[in-house]
Amino acid sequence: MKDIKGILLGLGIVAAVIVTLSFYVLNAGNIELDEIFPIGIVLILIGSAMYILWDRIKNVKKGLPAQDERLKLTNYKACSYGFIASIWSAVGAPLLSGILFDYEMPGHYVTAVVVLCGGLTFMVSYLYLAWKGK
Amino acid sequence: MKTRIKELRARYDLTQEDLAKRVGVRRETILFLEKGKYNPSLKLAYDVAKALKTTIDELFIFEDDQNG
Repeated sequence: MKDIKGILLGLGIVAAVIVTLSFYVLNAGNIELDEIFPIGIVLILIGSAMYILWDRIKNVKKGLPAQDERLKLTNYKACSYGFIASIWSAVGAPLLSGILFDYEMPGHYVTAVVVLCGGLTFMVSYLYLAWKGK
Repeated sequence: MKTRIKELRARYDLTQEDLAKRVGVRRETILFLEKGKYNPSLKLAYDVAKALKTTIDELFIFEDDQNG
């Protein structure tokens, strides 16, 4: 029951992100080149989240747990890597943008970089660690 | 670390999925345990040993780290 609740919650979050992204894309008019990159990252995150949910549903259908001690450990590790990436991107993104492009990054851009960097690092490390079995 | 999970699983004619169901873990966890890629918790080691009607020290073969 706990597994099913977790899967339903995950599906709800993915659906909410898809609806939000769809509203943004439909109302954005002409999408600029610099907007395509973050939208691409969000699409990668949605795809990865759907893969993880599909994998969990597949296991629950077979009568196996959606998450066991190995995946919980993987989750903790991926979360900590995502957290570290978020912290470093909050400091590094404005610094690099200033040094490389002589551009002062607005606050909402930094927020977007932090969220996307943290999310992408979490997903990549989760999938890698789950695949490697460590 | 080496394990005898595969050998004992074959003895009792169990698939990885059957053993996973008995122990209450995912099939991939059994696969990684067999390959020695994952170090289980004491509880998981006990559960796997119990499901294969053996003991932990007979199931898992720990090798001394000569560099450590």
